[in-house]
Amino acid sequence: MAAPVVEAEASGRAATRPPARERKNAKFSVHFAHYKWLYLLLLPGVLYFAVFRYGPMYGVSIAFKDYVPFLGVNGSRWVGTQHFEDFFSNPDFPRLLGNTLILAFLNLGIAFPLTIVLALLLNEVRLSVLKRTVQTLVYIPHFLSWTIVASLSFLLFALDIGPMFQFLNNVMGTNIDFLSDPAWFRPLIVLQEIWKNTGWGTIIFLAALSTVDQDQYEAAIIDGAGRFRRVWHITLPGIRSTIIVMLILAIGQMLNTGFEQIYLMTNALNRDVADVFDTYVYFVGITQGAYSYSTAVGLFKSLVGLVLIFGTNWLAKRFNQSGLF
Amino acid sequence: MIRRKLTLAAAVVTVSALSLTACSGGGNEPAADLTSVSIMAPFLEAQPPSADGAVQKKLEELTGKDININWTPNSSYEDKTNITLAGSDIPQIMVIQGKTPGFVKNAEAGAFWDLTDKLDKYPNLKTTFPDIQENASINGKVYGVYRGRAPMRAAVMFRQDWLDKLGLQPPKTTEDLYKVAKAFTEQDPDGNGQNDTWGITIPKWGALGTNSPYDLIEEWYGAGNRWTEKDGKLIPSFETDEFLEANRFVKKMVDEKLINPDFATFDGTKWNEPFFNGKGGIIVDVDSRVSVLVNLFKQADPNNFQNKVGFVGNLEGPDGELHAHPTDGYSGFLAVPKASVRTEAELDKVLEVLNTMNGKEVATLLNNGIEGINFTVEDGKAATMKPETSEGKAVSTDIKSYAQLGMNVAGNNFYPVKQASDYEQQVFDKRTEVMAEDLKSAVYNPAAPYVSATYVAKGAQLDNIVADARIKYLAGQIDEQGLKDAIKLWDTSGGNKVKEEINKLWQDNK
Repeated sequence: MAAPVVEAEASGRAATRPPARERKNAKFSVHFAHYKWLYLLLLPGVLYFAVFRYGPMYGVSIAFKDYVPFLGVNGSRWVGTQHFEDFFSNPDFPRLLGNTLILAFLNLGIAFPLTIVLALLLNEVRLSVLKRTVQTLVYIPHFLSWTIVASLSFLLFALDIGPMFQFLNNVMGTNIDFLSDPAWFRPLIVLQEIWKNTGWGTIIFLAALSTVDQDQYEAAIIDGAGRFRRVWHITLPGIRSTIIVMLILAIGQMLNTGFEQIYLMTNALNRDVADVFDTYVYFVGITQGAYSYSTAVGLFKSLVGLVLIFGTNWLAKRFNQSGLF
Repeated sequence: MIRRKLTLAAAVVTVSALSLTACSGGGNEPAADLTSVSIMAPFLEAQPPSADGAVQKKLEELTGKDININWTPNSSYEDKTNITLAGSDIPQIMVIQGKTPGFVKNAEAGAFWDLTDKLDKYPNLKTTFPDIQENASINGKVYGVYRGRAPMRAAVMFRQDWLDKLGLQPPKTTEDLYKVAKAFTEQDPDGNGQNDTWGITIPKWGALGTNSPYDLIEEWYGAGNRWTEKDGKLIPSFETDEFLEANRFVKKMVDEKLINPDFATFDGTKWNEPFFNGKGGIIVDVDSRVSVLVNLFKQADPNNFQNKVGFVGNLEGPDGELHAHPTDGYSGFLAVPKASVRTEAELDKVLEVLNTMNGKEVATLLNNGIEGINFTVEDGKAATMKPETSEGKAVSTDIKSYAQLGMNVAGNNFYPVKQASDYEQQVFDKRTEVMAEDLKSAVYNPAAPYVSATYVAKGAQLDNIVADARIKYLAGQIDEQGLKDAIKLWDTSGGNKVKEEINKLWQDNK
């Protein structure tokens, strides 16, 4: 009896929508009795979020206290919004905000479209052996840790001895210390991001591309559409909703500029452009023990992220009516 | 069928829900008569020592207590310390690695016993170096038994073979250092006909007051050690003229390419490589690196490794005087939290255990190992047992971690280690001799015992202003005026308040 319902429920949100409307009229107890096993299955997920996601949030309260570990969260003195005031009036604040936003938009503006471009290119490869080989090869960098990516950069761009340094020196006659020149910090970060994650990011787009109706391509070919016409008028509209969902998710993560990557690439000479919220929270919170202050900074960052994700969702709905939620 | 499947699902759910609540427990109350002692300590090796190893058994035998050591990785030790203090399962003895802001805040909130008037009652805990104990205190309050370290370690190491080839003398003054560095850069000391060597190798190491090569050279120039007395007041060493002079000197060497050009980014873990590979001939660092370098050459060529590495101690400054750079003399301390040791009577028992641990027997165990198993005593020195048994090796490995518990507040109460060959023994003896001689000219940090509230709150951010400016100045990103502006910015961003607080504490304790 229950089995078909289970399947219908499990097959995704889209399928559950019509029954949901019908259910509205039914009494909750009847409804609950009917679906009790499903609710039971839901329980671990709810517990997980309650215990590991919502429970720890009480710790956020230290952003409003002068937290001393020995005194505990409850025993520490309440200082209200003192830490936020300190942070916003700190001369570091505009610099951190600027650095974080610039890096975030560079990553979003350059790395995100490149993922789509790469997916489209891969999609056009006819020879499936070649396609699969290339796909595997571009996934590999994703599995290397940032420590290794940073070490590789240091080897390649090292002053005087790095192969890339020597190459650019010989070909272009440049003599730039890429690793410590503040002007080269952001390009290096974006390049690393592209190198590491573009290939991996194509997975979802490739999956979306495989669902585009093949008949449309045949029709377009008969109509005499060239390759670019087909990409522009069939492929891209076909994966538009995927692009928008991925964009909203990417924007939600935008301010997470990546602690490890930036921390590893920072040095005394480029710190002015390198400091972002994540590294600042580490530096102030962990190395200086200013837990309350750094929690306030982290909380601010999360709020900005929340605003961004809702804002994009709202925009997407206005223009497409297919947001994330 | 379906019913059975659903029951299974229900069972899975129940079990996983139970496992979520199953992680309680822990938090044992300490026994009143103290049969066991729990200690939290860092380990720097790849793995912590095993809980049933020979060293552990011997330690329990000598102290007569069950010793439960919670070995914590050094890299996350500071975090774990704070988490432990916020939790309910607090050890009776905690190794604290320094006067970090986190520790100071906890100590001032009353998390640890004040041992200022207690330690002298215990023969092995009464220090013979009261200055170091004072340095390890927070404004005169001693919160732990400090872990003693060599008080003098600064040295200049150079390629002896290069020096001999160019017919130069070991440097004695900073000016000599410049001359040797210049010769190493320009006179082809490796004789390959190419201009591919430089003088001094400096890694990415900018932070202030961390015994970096910059700190050493500044001190040699007479800038003082972090703080210095001028016109009856304490000022940070970077506000002296000597600081600027010293950095002009370093900048001259950078500009003339006597220092590796990537000094702002060069990875410190590779510091020995240019020296060993014959690229950069000088390293300014701690004297223990001499033995590391000698060992590198020995591994490469066991028959011909002598006379590759030369070294001298601290260098005389341009004023013709020796301002030697000492260390703080301690590396953290063993503190007793009040949350786990509630009464003074209990505290006395814990301190008795520490007293035993500081005695000759346990100090030998922690630092040398077990006689007859991993070492034997030859001419008053501990020599590694030959052939090494697997049991001996295990002990030798374990004591690398157990040495973290050693305090040695009354000097080293154990055997010095006998070096592997006569040459290495000579090098070691010379190191000891040079450092002892330099110690007589040591210039100490007059503000070491004092902790300023403003500095605790934002000292690291403040110091970064000057530290980054120093590197930028040396790299040519800013000029001397820019460096001076950064020092002014330190003042106006909170430094003036730090100075006020430090001076008040200093005056009050004079």
